[in-house]
Amino acid sequence: MQEFMLFIKTNGDHLLSLSPEEQQAHVQKIGGYIGGLMESGTLKGAQPLEMGGAVVQGKGGVFKDGPFNESKEVITGYFHIVAEDLASAINIAKANPIFDEEQAIIEIRPIKRMEGIN
Amino acid sequence: MQEESRNIPEEVDHLYRREYGKLVAVLTKTFGVNNIELAEDVVQEAMLEALRQWAYTGVPENAMGWIYKVAKYKAVNLVNREKYKRAYTSKVVHHLQSEWTLEPALDHIFTDREIADDQLRMMFTCCHPSVSKDSQVALTLKTLCGFSIPEIAKAFLTTNENINKRLVRARKSIQAANIPFEVPTGKDLEPRLASIMEVIYLLFNEGYHASSGQEAIRYELCEEAIRLAEMVASNPNIVNTSQISALLALMSFNVSRFASRTDTFGNLVDLEHQDRDKWDQALIQKGLRYLSFAAQHDQVSLYHILATISAHHCTAKDFGSTNWEGILSLYDNLVLLDDSPIVQLNRAVVLAKTANAREALMAIEGINDITALQSYMPYYTVRAELHFQIGEVKKASELLKKALGLSPNEKAKSDILDKLKKIDDL
Repeated sequence: MQEFMLFIKTNGDHLLSLSPEEQQAHVQKIGGYIGGLMESGTLKGAQPLEMGGAVVQGKGGVFKDGPFNESKEVITGYFHIVAEDLASAINIAKANPIFDEEQAIIEIRPIKRMEGIN
Repeated sequence: MQEESRNIPEEVDHLYRREYGKLVAVLTKTFGVNNIELAEDVVQEAMLEALRQWAYTGVPENAMGWIYKVAKYKAVNLVNREKYKRAYTSKVVHHLQSEWTLEPALDHIFTDREIADDQLRMMFTCCHPSVSKDSQVALTLKTLCGFSIPEIAKAFLTTNENINKRLVRARKSIQAANIPFEVPTGKDLEPRLASIMEVIYLLFNEGYHASSGQEAIRYELCEEAIRLAEMVASNPNIVNTSQISALLALMSFNVSRFASRTDTFGNLVDLEHQDRDKWDQALIQKGLRYLSFAAQHDQVSLYHILATISAHHCTAKDFGSTNWEGILSLYDNLVLLDDSPIVQLNRAVVLAKTANAREALMAIEGINDITALQSYMPYYTVRAELHFQIGEVKKASELLKKALGLSPNEKAKSDILDKLKKIDDL
């Protein structure tokens, strides 16, 4: 078993155009998805992120404060999961109902393990 | 129409729409009727925020309670934020602006009874005479029923832009008229209630009689119309429920036949050829209960007569045993209240059953304001059928050819062509 971080990135907010009826359908979908992950013990943690915040960028003591490019692929949340391997982590990401509504990107990164340390 | 889209869901849980409508009503009271759009925005935002959170943390058990809490919080924040000092016309707002009164005020605003009353007040606001009929219907669907603009556009076979224009006009008229958010009393109540019923009936007919459009969404319009009428009828502020009960009876009877109204290809089937086993007996019973309730008051409205006509049809074992005499005398009464050419034409159809085709044709010739029917397809198809019955085949054929140019859709056209072929084959 291996741990993964799934970073959710979206381009703008598609949810804005959903009607209450569609929102209800969406809630049912995410309820099933997250509920499934919780029950199977796959989910270690997940949180949405605020849209604001800052980016600090620099080298050698020269810093610039951001946000630099708010409209481009913003990280809007993360899932911390346990999965068999990268392939099954990919499947878990693919099943995220976010893809039904949004032009989303999920970046899947195995959490680095240091042999003999963790 | 595809088979799939014709399946009417047995029981759809429209929880979100319902709660959306409730919250918008409560917040409209909170912010005042000049801020309906603000109320809608706050509710929409609260629901979105829930979605964003739940996509990561799962859906809480009391999902609606969560949304209510967020909406309350947003509302309180909004009325207290300095930069948002807009003109609030409501009496409630200042209670939310003081910490002393905030909690009790919130508790009071969100009691079930208050919410129910707010929905009724909202109906009176949306159906205010200062707003055009088109816009009343659109605004009611948007704010009380939680329909989105594309959903309303789909139901009314028009564009999003068009619906949006109607909504903007409606909100402007409400602002300009400075309508108080309350249930009218005394002399005012009756005409205002009539206006609500008109909107409900329009909504229902749009769902019931539209010649095209998606079956599912049209059925929902009928459901919503019934739900709104039940909401009005069950509110203690409405003492005389005779008319609204009659309207509920009428809608129950009509919707009981919904499943038999179209064949497997989505084509409309007339009363004579409907499969009566498909009629929903539970709804017919419900209609009868409403009708007997409506009859308790000493009052006869358009809805009473229409509901009773519908009751005759719904309780007839088959088409042949329909009580046409009873229906004709109801039409005689109907003509006294509404002598529009279409009502007179329908009366003539009944006359053909109780008397004969010749008398029916004479009655049609006697319709006043007959020019109004010149572009109405049934005016030709009905007469064609009657002439056919008395053997005047050539006349029937002529009339059908005229009807052909007026048919609203392909199905109607092909029906007429079928009949023409039958005549030519004779």
